[in-house]
Amino acid sequence: MNPFGTEGPEPADRAVEERRGTAERFRKTDLPLARLWTYYYGLGGGIDEMSLDAYLHEALDIPAGQVALIAMAMTELMEGESL
Amino acid sequence: MTNPEPSLESFSALPQGAPAIQASPDMEGRLQELVLVSKDVISFLTDLAVLASARLSTPGNRIHTGVTVIRRKRPEALASSDAAARALDELQNGFGDGPCLTALRNGTTLLVPDLTDERRWAPYVKAAQENGVSSILAVPMDLSGEAEGVMNLYSGCSSGFTAEDISTAEAFASQAASSLRLVLRIAQLSEARNDLAIAMQSRTVIDMAIGAIMAENRCTRDAAFKILTKASSARNIKLREVAAAVISSISGEKQIDTYFDE
Repeated sequence: MNPFGTEGPEPADRAVEERRGTAERFRKTDLPLARLWTYYYGLGGGIDEMSLDAYLHEALDIPAGQVALIAMAMTELMEGESL
Repeated sequence: MTNPEPSLESFSALPQGAPAIQASPDMEGRLQELVLVSKDVISFLTDLAVLASARLSTPGNRIHTGVTVIRRKRPEALASSDAAARALDELQNGFGDGPCLTALRNGTTLLVPDLTDERRWAPYVKAAQENGVSSILAVPMDLSGEAEGVMNLYSGCSSGFTAEDISTAEAFASQAASSLRLVLRIAQLSEARNDLAIAMQSRTVIDMAIGAIMAENRCTRDAAFKILTKASSARNIKLREVAAAVISSISGEKQIDTYFDE
């Protein structure tokens, strides 16, 4: 599952799992990518929309801090949606 | 053009290639006008429904029109020429199935000439009859994948739609579809613009708070972010509100504005 070899299996696994979790959550929400990116940018997010897309398709690793912001953007957007 | 046969399978997908002779040239101008004056998608669709009803109604046969637009698998907008059509559309969406939703899924015109002969969608058909409907014509609108739309026409007369009515309705729907695409695109762009303006505001506040935390804790930006996000999740408060609280605790400023001119 990890194409980048065996270096640091524990944290890498966690990152893979987190990424898969976030990607899955995104697929379930049917939130438009542009809306998520804009909101994430508003939180101070630092990666561009295309990289976000790649990350959500489990094709790109990004810094842990950005992962947390993406997850937070999704949570806050969903809260707004259910109101 | 042949008349639809009233059988058990009493729906007719009309032969393609019916020339759009009924589409009068001034309709183009009317629709363009509607695009320009509509405040939002709903008001455009309402005007559209009223226009369709006016065009297809005859003295003895009043046509009620509803328009449903579905985006991201959810009915995004419902509009109608009158309360009766609205109730019927909502009824159908409530049952989750019916002639209009079927027409939408198949992308073809669907005619129910007489509800008493219709065996499909039993619960909906029964409810529609109780509301005085005898025939239904559903015409899908091709929105090129941006969304899906269907125009629902209801008549109190059995066989309330002639072959000519059907081609008029189809010609109208296909003209209306391009206007609707334009309206949807404008709505999407202005929504994106609003989202972006909100993001700018929010980002200013958050970046300021991050800077303040960095200065106070002599830490990196990442570490400051971590502190802020932790505070946000622990108290279940939005990140932007935590950031605003940080700033007002330092300087007392409650309102941080970002000017965002068009």
